[in-house]
Amino acid sequence: MHFLECRKVTKHFGGLTALMEVNLHVNEGEIVGLIGANGAGKTTLFNLISGVYPPSSGAIRFDGQDISGLKTHDICRKGLVRTFQIVKPFGNMTVLENVIVGELFGVHRDKTLVKAREDAIKTLEFTGLYEKRDTLGKELTIADRKRLEVARSLATNPRLLLLDEVLAGLTSTETAEAMKLLKKIRDEMGLTIFMVEHVMKAVMGLSDRIIVLHNGEKIAEGTAEEVAENPVVIEAYLGEKIKT
Amino acid sequence: MISSRKKKYIPAIGIPALLIFLSILPFFVTDYIVSLLLDILTWVALTESWIILSGFTGYISLGHSAFFGIGAYVMAISWMSLPYPLIILISATSSMALAFAIGFPVLRVRGPYFVILTLGLSEFAKYIFINYEVNVKGTVGRILLGVPPIKTLYFSLLVIAFFTILCAYLIQRSRFGYGLFSIREDEDAAESLGIDTGIFKWLAFGISAFFPGAVGSVMALRRTYIDPYSVFDPIVSFQIIVMAFLGGMGKLHGPVLGACILTLISEFLWARYPHYYMIILGVVLVVIVKYLPSGILEIVGKLETAIRFLRTRMGCIF
Repeated sequence: MHFLECRKVTKHFGGLTALMEVNLHVNEGEIVGLIGANGAGKTTLFNLISGVYPPSSGAIRFDGQDISGLKTHDICRKGLVRTFQIVKPFGNMTVLENVIVGELFGVHRDKTLVKAREDAIKTLEFTGLYEKRDTLGKELTIADRKRLEVARSLATNPRLLLLDEVLAGLTSTETAEAMKLLKKIRDEMGLTIFMVEHVMKAVMGLSDRIIVLHNGEKIAEGTAEEVAENPVVIEAYLGEKIKT
Repeated sequence: MISSRKKKYIPAIGIPALLIFLSILPFFVTDYIVSLLLDILTWVALTESWIILSGFTGYISLGHSAFFGIGAYVMAISWMSLPYPLIILISATSSMALAFAIGFPVLRVRGPYFVILTLGLSEFAKYIFINYEVNVKGTVGRILLGVPPIKTLYFSLLVIAFFTILCAYLIQRSRFGYGLFSIREDEDAAESLGIDTGIFKWLAFGISAFFPGAVGSVMALRRTYIDPYSVFDPIVSFQIIVMAFLGGMGKLHGPVLGACILTLISEFLWARYPHYYMIILGVVLVVIVKYLPSGILEIVGKLETAIRFLRTRMGCIF
């Protein structure tokens, strides 16, 4: 049995089919990248896994339990947390308070405020935000907001982290920093990461395995090299060869 | 964030001192002053209870007039047949029970829809009571006889206002409070971090409705005549919002300040310029909203910064 498993997951929005019978799995300890052009269904898939809306059909299993149709907060308590592509920091709360919320309501829900605060400080040190702990969420730069998004998710003590484009919009120095953090999360915390990413260098460099979505269907899966050389993927990204 | 130790001691001594002062005061002043203080306490309790839902979660509710009215009607119906404190408790509980009953469907809508829905609900409550008066009882309103002296009402409201502020304060510092603030900041993010936003909002809505029920109950005795139009008056809800914005919603003493100031301004204007009262009040509010969008507390904040700046400057000189 796989750690996270999607079986024949389909999602319709009215007449539009956003995802069509997608089968995929993530093993414990892996970093899996999810790529695809705009509109391929990546964020929809994340929304389904994290419980924003239920799938039209098919099943999603996490750690042996069926989670399709569960509410987002219940899924978080089971140890599966996601970040948002458009970051959502709590603007009028400090960085520390943002992370305390994660500590208080995540997997370990019996924490006292004092304990949550201590744990939040550890999380901030780990993610390199400790210096900015008293800054308000709305005053952070975009790179720090993305970092806070990750820190706050880590604070819930997840076992599987869904990262929705945490590297998008960063400068190359910031990207390198963020990649360092993701490696650290895998190596030191032993988390499983499932990430949507457009920054190819990052996906290729970090992922153990890559899944490619195109028009709501899974078209390829494999290591970075396999995917990069797959003719179906090249066609999806670059279009069909002109027949002469 | 409280940084220095000194700051912690100020409320520890100041609040009991203020309570003792407010308990002795009525014995030394005229009934007019007592009634003015009573008005202030009424609005403090109403505004502070409104903050528990609307200030903490950002869900602006216009439903407080309904809870106020329910409280007043429970008092009108059971006055003389049950002991006075018990009626207040029943009023508060009924108003909370109503909030819990309607809370689940109501809190499914967000933003402006929530505001309109709560306004609709309080109008709905009003017409139910109008219908009850006219068609069931064949009356227009109620006259309450043998009401307690004004000092009794004053002390009742002092207790209610105290517990409202205490409740808001305890929530603000609790795990529950953290949950509510996250909902205000971003509900989807709050949900994704494991907060059951539905339950949290529902609880805040219910708790927030408890206190206006109690206030309405006491105010029925103060007014001695009530009818659905006067106790379910939507102006109550609007005035609460104005006071909360006036004082600043960010901190707990903001609404208290707003309630005090607006009550005093209205009283002063009403006594001096009865014909221009509303016009002047309107201008005052526009000026405040225009120049102090975060409330009067903003002045305090600005003064603090100025003093700190001066101090560091002085430190350099000496």
